[in-house]
Amino acid sequence: MLKARVLPALLGAGIVLALLTVLIAAAGKPIGESFVIIVQGATGFPRTEAFGPADAWDVVLHDITLLVLTGLSVAVALQAGLFNIGAAGQLLVGALVAAWMGTQTRIPAPLHLPLTLLAGALAGAAWAFLPVWLKVRRGAHEVISTIMFNYIALYLTHWLVVAHLKDPASDAPQTPAVAATAQLPMLHESFLQASWGLGIAVFVALGLWLVLYRTVWGYEVRATGANRDAADAAGVPTARRMTEAMLLAGACAGLAGAVEVCGAQYRFFEGFPSEYGFDGIAVALLAGNHPALVVLSGWLMSALRSGAYHLHAQTGAPKEIAVIVQAALILYVAAVYLRKRRVEG
Amino acid sequence: MGGLFDAELIGTTIRQATPLILAALGGLLSERAGVINIGLEGKILMGAFAAALGTLLTGSPWVGLLAAIGVGIVLALLHAVATQELKTDHIVSGVAINLLALGLSTYLFRQLIVPREEAGESSVVNMFGAVSLGGLEQLPGLSALLKDQTWLTLLALVLPFALQAMLTRTRWGLRVDAVGNDAIKARMMGVPVKQIRYLGVLGSGVLAGMAGAFLVLAATGQFRENMSAGRGFIALAALIFGRWHPLGAAGAALGFGFFEALQMRLQGQPLFGVQLPTDLLLMLPYVLTVIALMGLLGKMKPPSDLGN
Repeated sequence: MLKARVLPALLGAGIVLALLTVLIAAAGKPIGESFVIIVQGATGFPRTEAFGPADAWDVVLHDITLLVLTGLSVAVALQAGLFNIGAAGQLLVGALVAAWMGTQTRIPAPLHLPLTLLAGALAGAAWAFLPVWLKVRRGAHEVISTIMFNYIALYLTHWLVVAHLKDPASDAPQTPAVAATAQLPMLHESFLQASWGLGIAVFVALGLWLVLYRTVWGYEVRATGANRDAADAAGVPTARRMTEAMLLAGACAGLAGAVEVCGAQYRFFEGFPSEYGFDGIAVALLAGNHPALVVLSGWLMSALRSGAYHLHAQTGAPKEIAVIVQAALILYVAAVYLRKRRVEG
Repeated sequence: MGGLFDAELIGTTIRQATPLILAALGGLLSERAGVINIGLEGKILMGAFAAALGTLLTGSPWVGLLAAIGVGIVLALLHAVATQELKTDHIVSGVAINLLALGLSTYLFRQLIVPREEAGESSVVNMFGAVSLGGLEQLPGLSALLKDQTWLTLLALVLPFALQAMLTRTRWGLRVDAVGNDAIKARMMGVPVKQIRYLGVLGSGVLAGMAGAFLVLAATGQFRENMSAGRGFIALAALIFGRWHPLGAAGAALGFGFFEALQMRLQGQPLFGVQLPTDLLLMLPYVLTVIALMGLLGKMKPPSDLGN
């Protein structure tokens, strides 16, 4: 246990720290000071006049929300043996539909917000359907089709926001702001972007944990992902389970988009931050696709990002430091924990 | 309608298609040998960066090209080691390499290349000039095709045929397919599986790096952040659309290049009296690939041992 689990984790942490050191040094910044700034960006401590815990946690909790939801999206699909590279596209579609629901519909207050979020989740699920259908019916690799669907979503939502849903009062390619009845309240009054979407994300994570590990359905999904042929032979309807898991995955990513619209941006716009969908891959892999651990790895990743952004803001060091570390982390986790069991190909 | 489908549109099509063809053929080398390669995008991006840096430092686009090929090979080597030695999932490794290239190219760009007016783009570098084929490019039939093209484009037009011949007529080509279709059987037949796969993956690094170099040294003359802009994925789409065959992939890349050229030409102008949104034109390659995946255009058959 110690050797198998703890040592690789410590080595991983060591690699991250070493890589951060190299990247900071290569950017010509003082190393000790930079680490203090990174920690400050991630936690708010040590507190200064201009930057305190409220500033740090506003960013961190906002990012956790999105990273947990997109991480769950990737994790649920991977539990069924499917690689959902399409979370970015599903997020975009979910965000656009939520923006439409939030701006164009007049629904009474207590229902407007939940229906808007639900619509975003359903849109994400719908966007995930064709790729998984192609997989189970046509044998087309889901990675290829979800990549294609990412780009289709990118251009489709851009076209819709420019040509059909644009705010007439603005020159910018964006929708009007969603109605107050469709906005998520903030976690704390001083926050600008960390909303109760976090509660939703954690709730979804716990729900998926129970469903995947405490129900027959979840067992069948995991059996399908572990070995589809064996699950088939045991009578599991694998095509069905894969489809359901992928729809859930799409719903999680679509919900991420809807939460971002209702809780932080209040509108859809050109260049909506869909790259959270790709960050979800790192979050899921780091968590070993376990929904509860996704919350933890989502926090680690958002702390790292928030730290890097803060370092960028304070010293001008490239904020891509976080991206590079994230890429190295994916490779490390994949090489150490996710080696193929198959003998040799 | 006059003058819409003219020689210039053909020329632009071929220019737009050049990086797609190069990268798609790179992906083909890797995937025919059984290694999934979604890291083309990252190799193009890093190739573009290295091309700009190398040319800025020395003034020679040839050095830039070599640098681009070099980083393409390094990223490919990373993918080869991860998938063949460490048995990492091919998709995960590809995702990580794309992410690494995005982060690293932007990081190094900020560190090494002084941005022009902080606009996120490098200053203009020396580019490859148009190739002269001893008057051949002046011939009426060929001028639309070959006028004002760089040698990289000519290479992209010839390479599919060369690769087709090599894959079907040489021992190496037969071995590639043997490895890509059933690695275990190939090993039992005495084929050096690992060596064939390394070659394929490294070849993809060379060609994707060249595709990136083309963007800087033949198309725009400067590096911009994330300038590959999804071309690696369009190349992947072309590879699949072309059913993992050199001529098919190149044909698909030309078709996708045509949509880009048409989109640039139209710039929101009506075609046959219909206003075609540019977004929908840009979307077309991806939609067509999905349609191809649906099996509406005949059966798709990837190399059977792909990804193992």
